[in-house]
Amino acid sequence: MSSKTHDPTSSVADDQSVFDRFDPHRVGEQLGFYGSVVLLCLVSFFPIIWIFLTSIKPSTEIIQFPVQYLPSEVTLDNYVMALQQAPFLRYLINSFIVASGTAILCVVLGSMAGYALSRLDFRFKLHVLMIVLVSAMLPFFGRLIPLFDLARSTGFLNSYLGLIIPYSAFQLPFAIWIFQAYFKELPDSLEEAGLIDGLSHIGVLFRIILPVSAPAMATTAIIVFIYAWNEFLFALTFMTEDSMRTITVGIALYQGEYTYPWATISAAVFMSIVPLLLLMLFFQRKIVEGLTAGVGKA
Amino acid sequence: MAALLLAPVLTYLFVISYYPIADTVWTSLHSGSVMPTREQQFVGLEHYRSVLSSPSFWNSFWVTLIYTFVSVPIEMVLGLGVALLINRDFWGRYVALVAILFPWALPTIINAQIWSWLFHGEYGVINDLLIRVGILESAYPFLSDPDIALASMLFVTIWKTTSFVALILLAGLASIPDNLYEAARIDGASKVKQFWYVTLPLLKPVILVALIFRTLPAFQAFGLPYGLTGGGPGESTTTLVLWAHSQTFTRFEFGEGAAAATIITLVAMVICLIYVMTLYEPEVR
Repeated sequence: MSSKTHDPTSSVADDQSVFDRFDPHRVGEQLGFYGSVVLLCLVSFFPIIWIFLTSIKPSTEIIQFPVQYLPSEVTLDNYVMALQQAPFLRYLINSFIVASGTAILCVVLGSMAGYALSRLDFRFKLHVLMIVLVSAMLPFFGRLIPLFDLARSTGFLNSYLGLIIPYSAFQLPFAIWIFQAYFKELPDSLEEAGLIDGLSHIGVLFRIILPVSAPAMATTAIIVFIYAWNEFLFALTFMTEDSMRTITVGIALYQGEYTYPWATISAAVFMSIVPLLLLMLFFQRKIVEGLTAGVGKA
Repeated sequence: MAALLLAPVLTYLFVISYYPIADTVWTSLHSGSVMPTREQQFVGLEHYRSVLSSPSFWNSFWVTLIYTFVSVPIEMVLGLGVALLINRDFWGRYVALVAILFPWALPTIINAQIWSWLFHGEYGVINDLLIRVGILESAYPFLSDPDIALASMLFVTIWKTTSFVALILLAGLASIPDNLYEAARIDGASKVKQFWYVTLPLLKPVILVALIFRTLPAFQAFGLPYGLTGGGPGESTTTLVLWAHSQTFTRFEFGEGAAAATIITLVAMVICLIYVMTLYEPEVR
């Protein structure tokens, strides 16, 4: 231990052998490390744990102070109430449709542009890149009123496309960026083989490049899906009919219509989060690795 | 060929991103109601004058600046700390990553509501915890005190987005080749020196990305104040977009709303430009 700290040339291999022998310093470090990670996870998860606990408590135990941490009995009443008093299932379905549609559109258009920008040579490439980049920096609010106008005059208010179209436009720069970072890393031989076999560039993209691009597609799709699931400002403005509301808007407006029923809101909130949690658990690696691939080369 | 692949995207971006911005600028220079009929009367900078002379606009401007430039630096430092902590292989790494990333995936408006419940002045669990550890003596109405409300809002946003910054920076850390650290070690550089002279400089491009990806949303905060405090008490947590939104959709001052939107766009672009000019280094090949 002491020799290690004073020897600047010690390498990872030395660390390992030190660890193999029993070393209190090393054990302490490990404990500190895992302690910090567990603490971090707890801090991250605490609010949702609390929402879950609230959602299964009898309503009398929710408004108690000092707070009663664990419910004396588990009840599903709040979930029943939530589903009866507002069409939360409908909201969930709406969110799902909008988010999936946005994800699909972003993958299709993003991969096309990403391919052109990473593997083709053409004039004005820099200009196109600038157009894409700058559009990513334009504030959403500056686009809200004209798009609202546009959606209304084209009949897209209270329609899924009315949200899918703007969401996709907002997320396209991100999608293009992920795809072009991924495509850059693919070997040239891949498309040369296709071109020799007589495929066009579009053929190469759809028959050769995209089939091996599952990681980039998954990353883009998931992150765009989460964005669209979470968006509030446009969803609030564009979906004026109750039956078309997304889950975020549905929950946000719920507390205005009834007097702060925390138990019911907690149940609704928890239901709205389950899809996100499942998505993250199933695709954890894709989210992390995909962002790593994209950002590392920024 | 490239044109064929790019045409849909470019058309799309021009119709959904560039045209609306231009239209907003146009609206900001004209009088009359925008909806349902356009009365096109050029009024010059009239709307800008009335926006810029409105105390509540300036209040929201300062609230937004404080909100942005307090939260973003803290998120960057904490995010870097988290990234450095989990930048290694360990048992349960992916589960930890999901847990840490969870706040980022949580919808802002839902997050706002969850925290308004946690901060509740009478039954809030934060109050309960602080009393139990002896920091508070009795329940404190976090969201009804003008000063504390903004601080509470900062806390919530930092809680939510630190993980996102951490993930972006983690990606940057992963891309730094190990042999650079090895070389630094052989030259006798301490851990701290390695951090300053190897890690930070190489992290610059990724820090730029994280800064832009955090500053822009912070500058346009809407869902969090809307759901957490409604902009209050008073106007102590009214952000620019919240102010412009109510100007537009509650008071139907479309011209002023558009002028505010244009100002927001300009300031956001200037901030990005400053970031890019200070941090961007062209790729060396």
